[in-house]
Amino acid sequence: MNPRSLDLHNPEHVRIKAILTKILKELRAELVLLINHSGQTIAHAGLAEDIDLVALASLAAANVAATEGLARLLGENEFSIVFHQGKQRSLHISDLSKRFSLVLVLSGTVSLGLARWKVKLATAMLDEVFQDYEKGLKRENTVPAKGQSRAAFSRRFSDEELNKLLGD
Amino acid sequence: MKLTFINYVAREINCKIVYYGPGLGGKTTNLQYIYQITSPENKGKMISLATETERTLFFDFLPLDLGSIQGFRARFHLYTVPGQVFYDASRKLILKGVDGVVLVADSQEERLDASIESVSNLNQNLNEQGFDLNKIPYVLQLNKRDLPNTIPVEELKRQLLFKGEPVFEAIATKGTGVLDTLKAIARQVLVELRKSA
Repeated sequence: MNPRSLDLHNPEHVRIKAILTKILKELRAELVLLINHSGQTIAHAGLAEDIDLVALASLAAANVAATEGLARLLGENEFSIVFHQGKQRSLHISDLSKRFSLVLVLSGTVSLGLARWKVKLATAMLDEVFQDYEKGLKRENTVPAKGQSRAAFSRRFSDEELNKLLGD
Repeated sequence: MKLTFINYVAREINCKIVYYGPGLGGKTTNLQYIYQITSPENKGKMISLATETERTLFFDFLPLDLGSIQGFRARFHLYTVPGQVFYDASRKLILKGVDGVVLVADSQEERLDASIESVSNLNQNLNEQGFDLNKIPYVLQLNKRDLPNTIPVEELKRQLLFKGEPVFEAIATKGTGVLDTLKAIARQVLVELRKSA
């Protein structure tokens, strides 16, 4: 398995969503996103109609990448947390296994210490999901899961379908 | 290294395409044209992190929905890099998790060296991110074909082709060749996804 990829299936989604919802409630956050380093949202919890989630995920991933670059420049292995304090809202971005980031949109009144503590707990739970996913993939390599694997998706993917998608 | 993210729950395929190339070559113009002609339901907000003089500082970003395949929405995230030489550190960051690259070369004679340097820089920066330009989906666009001092296409190909990649002549300001380039890179990325099964 490529350790940096994660194809999201329902069992993982249910578990991830439960973890994100838990931290959302505990911190009274507006939004919690799990994103990958390409800036794509894997799952999210919460609602903020005035925030464009696609743009938020892309900019947060870029922020993580830039922060990583700055850390290296200063001889640090990492700056594991990025925190932007605003008047009404704050943004807390943390690294997850060097593969993903957890993005929290918090109200201005939440204490940073509490946020860090809850993020630490959530990170451990999410890591467990990823580890189970990887174990599952290893099993899938010997006994494919019906209708759920990438292979099952790709087998039905014809040239005609591709031409139709691209308007050729 | 396959990074395309398939979300079986939302039924989405998510891919990242990066437009690379020398400064003022037309990378941002490619995205702006795509943004202009795409209907609102198939595009998200375009973000440009640019300087006061509208030169790309970090990147441009355009999320695009190309339609469905097997009931999965094909979502492409298009990025540009800053072309100016001294922004190399930023260029490397944008290549993280990339699924396919478009090299937007400037066809003008005086920009040939910059285009050649950009291909070499792309190859090096991809290597640093664990990718191989020989293996990753890749398309070459020869932009600014309408200007008077352009180099003949065959000569540009001789100088810039890396691995026999598809080549498209373009005038990005008018949209000529922009969609052909996009379709070609999207096709390669999706074919790669099929191969990875």
